[in-house]
Parts: sequence; C-alpha cells; structure tokens
Amino acid sequence: MRGESTDLRSAIAGPEPVLALPVHPGLSAGAPEASHGQVAHGTTVIAVKCLDGVINVGDRRATASYSVMYDQAEKVLALDDFTLLAISGSYARSIEVVRYLRHAFRYFERSQLQPMSLDGKLSEVARAVAAGLSMAMQGLGGFIPILSTWDPSAGEPRIFFYDAMGARFESAEYGAAGSGSVQIRGAFEYVVRTKSPFRQMPRADALREALRLLDIAADLDAATGGWAKVLPLARVITAEGIQDVSEAELRAAVAGLAQGEATFVADRG
Amino acid sequence: MMLSPYDFNEAINQRRDHAEEGLRQGSPVAGLSLDLGVLLITVRRTQRKVYEVYDRMMLSAVGNQSDIEAVRIGAVDVAHREGYQRSPDDVTAQRLVGFSLSPVLKELFRDQWRAPAVVRALFAEMGKLPADDAFFALNYDGEFVRSSRCAAVAGTPQAEARMVEELAAVSIDVPLGDAVRAGLLAWAGAWQSVATDTGGRGQTSDAPAGPDGALVTLAEQLVDGRVEVGLLDRASRRESRFRRLGEEELAEIVAPLRRGSGE
Repeated sequence: MRGESTDLRSAIAGPEPVLALPVHPGLSAGAPEASHGQVAHGTTVIAVKCLDGVINVGDRRATASYSVMYDQAEKVLALDDFTLLAISGSYARSIEVVRYLRHAFRYFERSQLQPMSLDGKLSEVARAVAAGLSMAMQGLGGFIPILSTWDPSAGEPRIFFYDAMGARFESAEYGAAGSGSVQIRGAFEYVVRTKSPFRQMPRADALREALRLLDIAADLDAATGGWAKVLPLARVITAEGIQDVSEAELRAAVAGLAQGEATFVADRG
Repeated sequence: MMLSPYDFNEAINQRRDHAEEGLRQGSPVAGLSLDLGVLLITVRRTQRKVYEVYDRMMLSAVGNQSDIEAVRIGAVDVAHREGYQRSPDDVTAQRLVGFSLSPVLKELFRDQWRAPAVVRALFAEMGKLPADDAFFALNYDGEFVRSSRCAAVAGTPQAEARMVEELAAVSIDVPLGDAVRAGLLAWAGAWQSVATDTGGRGQTSDAPAGPDGALVTLAEQLVDGRVEVGLLDRASRRESRFRRLGEEELAEIVAPLRRGSGE
C-alpha cells in the first residue's frame, strides 16, 4: 500500500534506483582475445588473524599484461569502521565496487537507522563479485576480494573469501587472493602446522609471517611487487576499529625479515 | 474546476493554518556552528529526532513523524545517488534543499487534492571551516532560509526568533558541554514562548518568565523528555562525521540543568 508519505519520498527521490552497481556487458563471444591487454590487474593480498584482531597486507603493484602500470596501488581498502576489503583482479572494477559498497553500507544505515548486518554485507559483496562474472570469463575486469572484519557479537575477527562466481567461504586462520596467492597457499598451512596458528600469534609475529609470505609471492609471481622501492600496505582491525600499520613498524618488520634471511643464506653459504 | 482568486487565497490560508497547527506542538530544535563542529540539540519524548543524511550533513525537524520520515528518506536517497554517481563533494545542503526538496514541497502545498506535509526541517552541513558551515530551515510550503552561525526550528515564528537570539550569543570556541547546555536553555525558552503565545500545550504553570523560567521549564521537561544531540565532528578523521552523543556523555552534560538552577 502506498500512503502519502511514500508518495512524498518518491516525488523527492524520483524513479531512478538510488544505488546500482554498473554491470558491464563484457565483450561479445566473437571478440578477439584482447582481454589481458591494457587492463590493470591487482596481485597478491593476504589476511591473517592474530591475537588482537586481523592483519591485511597487500603489495603495491598494478600491472597490465607485462607492464607495471603503477607501483603505489592501495589494495586494502576500508568499507566501514570495522571492515576491510583486500582486492585482487581488475583494479578499475575493484575500486568501483569498493565505492559502491561504501555507499551501500552507509545508505542502509542512514535510511534504515540501523547498521547493515555482517551477513547482509557479505551478500552485497557476493553480488558485486558475481556481477563481474561475464567480464571475468573473458579475462577482463573480474575481481576477487577477501573481506576481513571485527564481529562485535562474537567478539572476534572474521575472514571471508570468495570465488569468481560469488560463493562465500569463511576461513579460521588466513585468506589470500590474487595471482601470487596460488604459489603461497601451501606455505600458510606450513606456518600454521609448524609454528603456531595465526590467531594465537602476537601482532608483530603475525605481521612478520604475513610479510614473509608476501615476499615469497613476489619472488614467485611476476605480477606481485616486492618492497625494494615501495613498502607494502598493512592495516589491522581490532575491537577499536581499523588502524594503518605505521611506516616505522612496517620498516622494522621488513628489516627484521631481511636480516634473518640474510643470516640464514650466509650460514648455508 | 476553476478557482477564483478569492478561493485560492482562502484555500492556501486554510492549508497554512492546518500545517501551523500541527507544527505548534513540536519540540524545537537548536542548531549551532562552532569550532568543534556543528550541533543540533533538542529534547524528545518518543521518536528519535536527529538523523544523519550524508557524510557531513544531518537533519532534525518538527512536524508529523510520517512527513518528517518522507523528507528524511527522500533526502538520504538523493544524497546517496548523487554521492555515488558523482562524488561526495557534490552533495551539498544547498543543492539538496534548493533543487530536490523545496520544489516538491511547494507543489504538494499548492495541490488542492492532497494534504500538505506538516514539517519544518532543519538541515545542518559542516564545511571545512566554521565559516563554511550552513543551516537550511525548510518549511512545509517549500520556502527555505539559509543561515550560518546558528539556526532554529520551533512551533511558532516568535519562538524561533527567541531561540536564534539566544544562540547567536554563544561564542564560537565554547566546549561541547557548554554548547549543549546553551542549546538546551534556548530550547526551553522557545518551549515557554510557544506555550505563552498559544496558551496551549507545553505550558509550565509556575515557571517565571526570563532565563530563570527557562531553567525551571527545562528541569521540568527533562523529567519525561530525553535530550538528543547530533554532532558533525570537525576533528573526526572518519569520512562520516556524524555521531549522536551517547547516554553517559549526555548525562554528565545535562546533570547541572536537572536541578533547575544555574551552576
């Protein structure tokens, strides 16, 4: 039933939908394989839990085919005060989706006067991933995210990852996405089984392990950047919200890592 | 059907009376633009009264709840569509009120076949500096007024004028607690003024006129009413600058006023 007030609202807002994520039609089936051509692609992003929350790290390289387009890309982006999206795949599509999700979450909270539930947010992300499927199938513009958040009702961090069709999975320990994530998948398991579960590590240890994994990905995957020139991006979510890992902390972790490995290599030599 | 000029004026006046009658009973809202940010201050009984519209914009209103809700959601819709399609920088209260809300309210007010919206809304927007802050008071007939340092919406024009006069005296660098208390005293003055002007609701039989009266009125109203304050925080690093002051924060600020005498 439409009452007066609904009429007034629609008279103000007009008939267009408030928020609609553009769905690109993709290329026709007969189009040439220009796909990987000039589109910037994201690369390796990692989420690991630690004692006080969840850490996200990402390399800074954006590539198109064999070119490095940009070496300061930010692939760990805040969706709200307690939620990070680490993105891999088409950079353009990722940024558009992040912009969409930020607006969608806030729009929900402001119009409905209550925050969107975690489940609601996860479904929005799934829809955004699935909407890019036709592009992804043609090697153009697909993207796959990892969502990390602090769940206030459970009082603990949560990590969710997606497949290309938008299926959502929860991980107890870690998540990784991007072209370099394939090469390091087993290394996560090795760390968990031989050292300690990530969620039981102090923040500094978990950060160091995540950076080491990112470094291995950069060694093994051409599209993942190392940190010889630009430091990786690292953000943490705790019960207090999202913080950037400071440059000093990051530099210390990276230096410690390099020193440890140099000693190890020297010992072997 | 043709209306003669006489009928037209008569009809407009009747609609105006109908709307004003509905507004008179509303709890006033005080707006202050300060160094620390922008405040909307009111006292409510049942419904929530201060709402976030966009990253740097909020809204409060007097009137029928259903009409307030329609204006509020319509404004939120327009702001988010614009912010997503263009940029959050393009969402301004001036555009929202002037181009999206005012024409629709004006049309509704003059449409003989529909009931006019009973609403007087106060939009508050925070700029980068206090000088860029803006208030827009939007009326049921589509008219709107822009102001900068302070603003008010209340049941009668006299009450609004009284509030604005008091609010204008608040210094721009006051701390949050003082600002809220000043806003509440202005609120109480307006509440008293509405009662005296109309001899209607909200009267406090034994409250004297003047500042002391406002204190007494306020203490009386705070027995049942709850203080509600929306803040656009200039110091915040979040993109969304809006927050409502929490219960504990408010309890501390309001405590000296509950006793019904000055500090």
